[in-house]
Amino acid sequence: MALIELREVTKSYRRDAIEIPVLDRVTITVAEGDYLGLMGPSGSGKSTLLNLLAGIDRPTCGSVRIGDTEISSLPERALAAWRARHIGFIFQLYNLIPVLTAYENVELPLLLTNLSKKQRRDHVMTALNIVGLGDRAQHYPRQLSGGQEQRVAIARAVVTDPAVVLADEPTGDLDAKSAGEVLTLLQRLNQEYKKTIVMVTHDPRAAERASHLLHLEKGTLAEQVKA
Amino acid sequence: MKFISLVLKSARRSKRRTALTVLSVAIAVFLFSSLRAVLDGFSAATEASSSTRVITIRSTSMIFNMPTSHADAIRSVPGVQDLTWANWFGGIYKDPKNFFANIAIEPESYLRMYPEIIVTPEVKKAFLEDRTGCLVGSGLVKRFDWHVGDTIVLKPGIPYYGTQDYTFTIRGVYKAGSSAVDDQTMLFHWKYIDERGAVHGQVGWYVAQLANPDAAARVSQAIDEKFANSPNETKTDTEKQFQASFASMLGNLNLLLGSVALAVVITTLFVAANTMAMSVRERTTEIAVMRTLGFQAATIFMLVVGEGLAVSIAGGAIGAGIARVIINGEFLSMAGGFIPQFGVNNWNAIAGVGLGGLIGVLAALIPAMMASRLKIVDALRRVA
Repeated sequence: MALIELREVTKSYRRDAIEIPVLDRVTITVAEGDYLGLMGPSGSGKSTLLNLLAGIDRPTCGSVRIGDTEISSLPERALAAWRARHIGFIFQLYNLIPVLTAYENVELPLLLTNLSKKQRRDHVMTALNIVGLGDRAQHYPRQLSGGQEQRVAIARAVVTDPAVVLADEPTGDLDAKSAGEVLTLLQRLNQEYKKTIVMVTHDPRAAERASHLLHLEKGTLAEQVKA
Repeated sequence: MKFISLVLKSARRSKRRTALTVLSVAIAVFLFSSLRAVLDGFSAATEASSSTRVITIRSTSMIFNMPTSHADAIRSVPGVQDLTWANWFGGIYKDPKNFFANIAIEPESYLRMYPEIIVTPEVKKAFLEDRTGCLVGSGLVKRFDWHVGDTIVLKPGIPYYGTQDYTFTIRGVYKAGSSAVDDQTMLFHWKYIDERGAVHGQVGWYVAQLANPDAAARVSQAIDEKFANSPNETKTDTEKQFQASFASMLGNLNLLLGSVALAVVITTLFVAANTMAMSVRERTTEIAVMRTLGFQAATIFMLVVGEGLAVSIAGGAIGAGIARVIINGEFLSMAGGFIPQFGVNNWNAIAGVGLGGLIGVLAALIPAMMASRLKIVDALRRVA
C-alpha cells in the first residue's frame, strides 16, 4: 500500500483577479520507504507539491492522503498536530532559530510532545549523533558552517521519528562537499532508518541518490524515471 | 513551563530594543506609582481622620486667620466637649528646600485632643513647661539628625510673624499613632509666636471635640451660624472633610493625576506595541518554520504574548521597585501636614507591576494575532 497518495490534485493561486495555475490534476503515489526526487524548472510546482504533502498548503481540488489520513480535509488545528507527529521538513536555507543552540533547535518539535526533559534530551542527542554533531550541541547557528546548519536542520526534522521526511532543495545553498555529506545523510536515513523521503531538487547529483524521480513541467507530471 | 526558556530567549534577541522597551515601561510604572502615592497619601489621611473632631476655618480660605475670641463662642455650642487651635507657621529651616510642617498649637488642649501624637508623660511635661520648646516627629529627627536639647532656628515664612528668627529647643520626640498624623512635623507653643508676631490674637483653625460623632453636622452648622454676617465668617467641617478639602484646594486631583498617568501609560502602550510588532515582523520566517514543525496558532499567540508580558513585567518591577525606594516623604522632603504618610506602599508597587504586565499583554495582542494568523506558505515565500 502506498504511504503517500495524491489524487487529481490541482492548485492555483489568485493574484488580484488573475487565477495562476500551479499544479494541474497531478496524481502521485509513493510507497513506504521510498526516496522520491522531484525535479523540474523554476515555477513548475515542485515546492507547491511539497507544501501540499507537508500540510502547510491546501489543494484547490483533489485529495492528499498520507498513511490513513486524508490531510486535505483536516481542520487547521488537527493539521498542525498531525504535522508535528508525522512530518519532518528540511528547508533550503536551514531556517534554524538563531537565538537557540543546535540542541534547542532540535528540541523544538519535542516541546509539542509529552516527553519529559530527560526523554527529550535522549532524543535530541540521538538525532544530533546521527547527523554527526553531538559535540556541537551547545553551538549557535552562527557558530556553524552551512553544511553543519543543514545537518542540525535534518536532526530537527527526524527527532520526532516522523514517517515522512520532506526536503526542499536541501543542498541548494551548500558547496559540493557539504552537499555530498547532506545527501549521504539523507540516503542513510532512507536506507538505515527506513524513512520515506520526498526531495525537491535542481541538482542532478542530488537526484541520483533518489530511488525514484519525477519531473514536473508547468504543473503537470512530465515523465517518471526509475533511478 | 517548557516554553518559558523559548520566550526569554526571544525577548533577548535584540538586547538594545528589549532594554529600551523595559525602560519605557519602567518609567511609565514609576510615574503611575508616584502619582498613585499622592492620592493614596490624601486618602489615608482622610480615612484615618477622627469622626469626633470638627475643624473650623475662615469661610473665605484657610490662609486667613480668625480672632481668638471665636474660642469661647465655639465652646458654648451644645455638643462641643473640648477645643484647641493651631496656626500654620511656615517657618524655614536653614533653606526652603528643607521643607517640613511647623505648626503652632495650644499645647495642652492639642495634645489632649490628639492622642495619635504619642509622647511620654516626661516629654509632655518638659514641652509644656518651656514656652520656646518644641516637639518634633521621629521622622524629622532622623532626617536632620536632631537630638533632644538641640536648638532649632526657624525663619518666619509668613509676614504675620515678623522678620526676626525664632529659636526653639527640642523638648521631645513624638511618634505618629495613625495615618492622620505624620512623623515629619514640628509642634510648638502658639503663645510664643502670638507674642512675637506682628498681629496678635489670631488663630489659623480651631478643632472642636464632639461628645457624639452623629452630631457633627448639627454642631458644625451651629458653629458657623454663630459667626454668620460677622467680618470673620467660618466654615466648619468634620476632620475627614477638612482633609479632603486639602486635596480639592489643588483641584480635582484624581482627574488631574489620573489623566497624566493614563497619558503616560497609553503612550508607553503604543511604544511597546510598535516594538512587539517590529519584533514579530522580523521573525516572520521563524514563525512560519515553527508552524511547519507543528506549533499551533494558539501556541504562537501565547509565545508572543508571553514575550510582551516578560518584557513589561521586568519594566514594571524595575519602575515599581525604584518608586518604592525613592518615593517617600522622608527621601524627597515632601511630607508634613498635607500628606502625612506619603510614599509608595507594597500594594501600590504590586499594582505598578500589574500595570506593567497589562501594558505588555495589550501591546502584544495585535502582533500575537498577526503571528498566529500567518499563512505559512506566504511567510516562507517559497512558491516554486
